[in-house]
Amino acid sequence: MSDAVLDIPSRNRTRRSRSFWRKPWLLSAVLLVVFIGINILIQPRFFSAYALGNIITTMLPWMLIAVGQTYVIFGGSIDLSLGAIVSLVNVVVVVLITALGGGPGAMVLGMVAGLLLGTLCGALNGFLISAFRLQAIVTTFATSIIYGGAALVVLPQAGGSLPTEYFTVYSEGFFGLTLPIYLLVALILVAAFVATTRYQKHLLATGGNRQAAFQTGLPVRRIVMGAHAIAGFMSAVAALCILGVAGAGDPLMGQAFTLGSVSAVVLGGTALAGGWGSVTGSIIGAAILALINNIIFFSGIDYIYQAIVQGGIILAALAAGVFASRRQK
Amino acid sequence: MAAVLEASDVAKRYGAVVALERGELRLERGEVHVILGSNGCGKSTLCKIIAGAVPADGGSVVLEGRSVAFRTPLEAQAAGIATVYQETGLVPTLSVVDNIFLGQEPGKAGGRIDRKARYARFEMLIGRLGKLAAHLDPDTLVGDLSIDQQQIVEIIKALSREPKIIIFDESTSSLDRAQVADFFALVRALKHQGTSMIFISHRMEEIFAIGDTVTIMRNGRFIDRRPVSETSRDELVNLMVGSALQQMIEARQSHRQPGKPVLSVARLSGGKAQGISLELREGEILGLGGLHGQGQSDTLLALYGGITRRGGEIVIAGKQLGGSTPAAALKQGLVYVSGDRGRAGALRGRPIIENLIVGILSKSSKPIAERGKLRAQVRPVIDQLKLKFGRLSDAIETLSGGNQQKVVVGRGLATGPTVLLLDDPTKGIDVRAKQDLFALIDELCAGGMAVILYSSEDMELIDHADRVLVFNTGHVVAEISREDLSEFALNEASLKTAPAHAEQQPAHV
Repeated sequence: MSDAVLDIPSRNRTRRSRSFWRKPWLLSAVLLVVFIGINILIQPRFFSAYALGNIITTMLPWMLIAVGQTYVIFGGSIDLSLGAIVSLVNVVVVVLITALGGGPGAMVLGMVAGLLLGTLCGALNGFLISAFRLQAIVTTFATSIIYGGAALVVLPQAGGSLPTEYFTVYSEGFFGLTLPIYLLVALILVAAFVATTRYQKHLLATGGNRQAAFQTGLPVRRIVMGAHAIAGFMSAVAALCILGVAGAGDPLMGQAFTLGSVSAVVLGGTALAGGWGSVTGSIIGAAILALINNIIFFSGIDYIYQAIVQGGIILAALAAGVFASRRQK
Repeated sequence: MAAVLEASDVAKRYGAVVALERGELRLERGEVHVILGSNGCGKSTLCKIIAGAVPADGGSVVLEGRSVAFRTPLEAQAAGIATVYQETGLVPTLSVVDNIFLGQEPGKAGGRIDRKARYARFEMLIGRLGKLAAHLDPDTLVGDLSIDQQQIVEIIKALSREPKIIIFDESTSSLDRAQVADFFALVRALKHQGTSMIFISHRMEEIFAIGDTVTIMRNGRFIDRRPVSETSRDELVNLMVGSALQQMIEARQSHRQPGKPVLSVARLSGGKAQGISLELREGEILGLGGLHGQGQSDTLLALYGGITRRGGEIVIAGKQLGGSTPAAALKQGLVYVSGDRGRAGALRGRPIIENLIVGILSKSSKPIAERGKLRAQVRPVIDQLKLKFGRLSDAIETLSGGNQQKVVVGRGLATGPTVLLLDDPTKGIDVRAKQDLFALIDELCAGGMAVILYSSEDMELIDHADRVLVFNTGHVVAEISREDLSEFALNEASLKTAPAHAEQQPAHV
């Protein structure tokens, strides 16, 4: 064996730099720059602290849910109930804080209960999918109806109100920066940390080739269930953020987030089939969706045509990404 | 020497199909133990049971004196058994290092992966493999690697787990000659360290090059165990296929008398094939030979419409071929069957019966499929092919590889083709299934069907073709008649180059 060792030619390390060009988020970053450019054109004060703070506040829930959805999709699954989880947590927190008297203790308790509830809802999805080998799309579609229905039971109509401290803390923040800005930084740091863990690697392996991951000895069921629980938790955090802006409960609030989060993930270059992608991309994808909203808002397009234009732009952005990545290969 | 692992009376059934009836294996410390048998003999199932990938229905496995029954691959790995799978073991979307250390990454606090330590361990492992892994880049995605490189990654992955027992499941099938030599050097080094290895291979010469002991299996049963040094090639083949079949293999089919012309092709080009002209008669088997990938498959695909034709005239039974799609070819009785059952053949997850009738369905113009009639139509094909199955409604995956291939061929035959195009139809199937297939093809040829057969195995052409067109770089460079057909003649002709007048269309590079 010793003579074999002498035979190794110097190994080609330059190829490592090439992997940079295969980063999943690269194309979405280009799109982000394009959309920021358009925003500056139609809204010259885009970079003012006020406008930036505003747009980060609207982006944040999208980003949180998209990041949660990303982990689920990494593992080869999908969760169509995240929007319903947002709705349910939203109303439960409002009702609970009100019922407990609205003091600081009630607020902390209500928030903790909301986070726990979201995590449990996600974990239940994951459990149903991995323990009974059910199809993720249909299973989470069904649970989304249950969670959404439960939200209507808890609070049949939009309303209720939170103590003013809740949203003043949220919008005023500390040291001159709003809370959403801190939360965004925290989200990026946590996602960056998770990207270096075994867990994310095992999740990607499970989504990339479940059979191989199983044969290698990974606990694939627990891994997938964990991803769903994380997504539920992130959706609950998003629900708390939305309350910080709205100040009142709304049982139908979350609906748009479900497929919005999937769009953000795909815009960010993550493969829907699982096993390949990046959380950074999803954060950028969510930012792009928010910027598109912003463009529509400031463009002065007649209200009744806004949805059509918005859908068209999202489609164009997706198509641009897909065509560019095809050329790359 | 004490046995490291002893398996006896191991059984496994999938629904109605008995995959393993009486598996037996006695593995000594530091030996290379070959398991030999045709496809569907149960050797893969036996290995999967030992590796914990499937649970056994009965029997016992004793590892170092301790009775074991692994429920998951993880349990088997923890006990020191690693498996080098043929294809399913890697994640294509992860890098080479990711795959090798998957599930046992060197860690830092907080569940993070220690990347530096991982690279260091990678380099160490690579050192043990010598030339075999010299050009392997740790950061390349496994999906971007060629098949042989993927196989090498599988081998490193198994080694990284420092196993006592390694199962190599046809690990050499995608390696070239030089790589196999390097791989054998590694196997010998492992042997000296006391690692025991189970080795599955279809290449007879490898068994004699590397094996210490050979266990022969047939029809899910243990047949015999021999020291490799005390057996011969002929003896092994006899044990493997049983004596009656051996005689059948040796019995060459009698010479046929071809009838009137049924297919004439003039200056056909497509893919790698350049200006191919040929004539085919009723009842004739025309072989296509030469080195791999010289345009033989592309000729067949261009005829069938599976790839785009660039010019050429095709006349079937006196009528011009009216269209360039497979549907048009099928309508005029031209059927193509590929040996690549995974990619181009089997409809995965669908019942056997559906896989058989889909050919008839796409040929007929009736809007409604009549279940009973269709069954009656495929019944003779099933009988003739000696198809082994549980029920016709079982998914095609319940069949062994050889039987799946029979279904894919049977689908084409059930349409009653005038001309059958066979594209390396026996790739990866065993002697017995091959024999069943060719027996049926011979029978149909006697009834007037004409066949063009491309085979990567020279012996198949010599045994079955009436004449052979030899290809080189997209051109027909020689025609060998049945009288002159031999391995020597085929090899010699495959090295000829195209005559000057055929070079009108230079290939684009």
